Amino acid sequence: MSKSILGLFLDPNSAADAMDGLKESGFEQGSFDVLTGTPYPEGAFGEHVPQHRLFRFPAFGAIIGFSASLFLTSATQLAYPLITGGKPILSIFAMLIIMYEMTMLSAVIFSVIGIIFESRLPNIHPSAYDPRITEGYIGVVISVEDKDLNKAKAVFEKTGSEEVKVV
Amino acid sequence: MINQKKHFWPPSDPAVVRTELINNTKKGGSTLRTIVVSLVLLSLLIMVGIIGKVIIDGNDQTQWGYVAAILAFILSATGGAPMVAIAPLIAKASWARPISRIAHIIGSVSIVNIIIMIPILRMLPPLIVDGTRRRSIWFEAPNYSPHFWDTLGLIMLAITGMALLYSSSIPDFAVMRDSSDGIRKKIGKILSRGFIGTTVQWSKLRMRIGILSTLYFFVLVFVHFIISVDLSMSMVPGWKDAIYPMYHTMSGIQGGVASVIILSWIVRKYGKNQNYITINQFWALGRIMFATSLMWIYFFYSAFIVFWYGRSESDAAWLDLLIRGPMMYVFIIAMLCSFIIPWWWLIWNRVRNSFNGPFIGAIIVLIGLLLDRIRLYVPSWSVNPKLIHDKWLTEIPKILYPDIWDVMIFIGSISLVFLIIIGLSRILPLIGVWEIHQLNLLSKPGKFMKAHGIRVAKPD
Repeated sequence: MSKSILGLFLDPNSAADAMDGLKESGFEQGSFDVLTGTPYPEGAFGEHVPQHRLFRFPAFGAIIGFSASLFLTSATQLAYPLITGGKPILSIFAMLIIMYEMTMLSAVIFSVIGIIFESRLPNIHPSAYDPRITEGYIGVVISVEDKDLNKAKAVFEKTGSEEVKVV
Repeated sequence: MINQKKHFWPPSDPAVVRTELINNTKKGGSTLRTIVVSLVLLSLLIMVGIIGKVIIDGNDQTQWGYVAAILAFILSATGGAPMVAIAPLIAKASWARPISRIAHIIGSVSIVNIIIMIPILRMLPPLIVDGTRRRSIWFEAPNYSPHFWDTLGLIMLAITGMALLYSSSIPDFAVMRDSSDGIRKKIGKILSRGFIGTTVQWSKLRMRIGILSTLYFFVLVFVHFIISVDLSMSMVPGWKDAIYPMYHTMSGIQGGVASVIILSWIVRKYGKNQNYITINQFWALGRIMFATSLMWIYFFYSAFIVFWYGRSESDAAWLDLLIRGPMMYVFIIAMLCSFIIPWWWLIWNRVRNSFNGPFIGAIIVLIGLLLDRIRLYVPSWSVNPKLIHDKWLTEIPKILYPDIWDVMIFIGSISLVFLIIIGLSRILPLIGVWEIHQLNLLSKPGKFMKAHGIRVAKPD
């Protein structure tokens, strides 16, 4: 059975040592993570920095919005072909305003959807956590099988963990 | 510690920061209750004013200039505020972190614009008037295109502003969940949505704020463009000005900076946040407001010089309508307050490097912004609708004074803005807890030989 262990650290360097210790003890990158109350620069603890696809949502939304607006403005103008000021029926400058607005609108809506989707909200399976993390403590959390429990605990104790919690 | 005092640095202990800032959301008492009740009552004036005006002036579009001016003023004074948080974010500047939340909160009150837009929708003339299409940016578009797309633009700005505020507040909702009790704990639990500060969550938060900030900027510029063109320029026959929408945007950003300065001053003084909002923020904001004041005159003059030297009948009509005609005194005071006074006030380093200097400058700028919007929108709406198809304006309307309904709508709108801000301050700390942690993490005041300085880390 899988368990979640949380080691709490006051010193960021000790937390980074614990991350190194877990790596050296043979735990897989990605099975452990660091929990902080403030955004440390990526890779500061030697943690695995996962890739995410958040930027794809607004980009995809923008493409859909642009395509829809291009269709809307072109189709309506071709359906009612009125020549204005000697300009061509499909005049890009007259279409730009609606195209820009629909592109932006769609990008915004898809961004909000992306935030909900990518954040996996709500968090149904929270891992081990301690409210002291928002007080400045740093948590190192790992999911392990029962047989590896003591190995992970030993790493936390060796690197100066203030407390170890098993959930 | 000496360096911290020298540089007016926030407390470095995360527990102290958390406790102080979260506790600020609970402070209040009878004074705050009185203010909130007063603001609720005053906010109702917006509805009374709109209903009264629709009943009295519902068939006369020329009487609605002040309502359009109020919409443009609120849009300009609040919409540009998040740029104060967005621009330093792009430049990885740390000084703006304590006031980022204030900027985002001001930007999220755009809902007020949508309320004011409702009666404007009724009064804004369609594209085809008396069987003939009036000149606009909509060419052969359907008859009510400005009504639809302008409102959609305002809604889009409000959604983006609120999404930006919410995204940047998630870590603080987690703090509330962990350190509050009662209703605040429940709110924190619901709105933090399981945020525990993992690497992925922080990484996504950074990217999310970056994406929404970029979108906000694009939407803001666009909304200024369509509102300024549809609600003023296309109401006046013969007014053709390519620089005007950019001037409108630029003065809006100036107004946004001024709003952030004013709210920061209030939050610092009356919210007991002297340790968090320090001279560093006011000094930097003072410089930005000085720069935007110079930009104001640059954009204004670029447009003005074309009309001044053009000297065609349409150019002369523009000058008569907006500069030297019945609105001349309003224009002069607007010019004084938007450029000349802020310029000569903020040019002094001693003024910028103080708490009250930028605050006084900001109040002057907002007065100038209000008068400038009145100068632009009131005469535009006062133009005789029968002249809309003329090549240029041949009849300059007389100056229109605000009636009781206009005053009610104005007071109601401003009160509603403050009510929303106070309401949000009861849920969210007005200074981001995680932003202060981040400031402390990446910037450190220190001694450099015999001088003092701030070391700033700018990780990729």
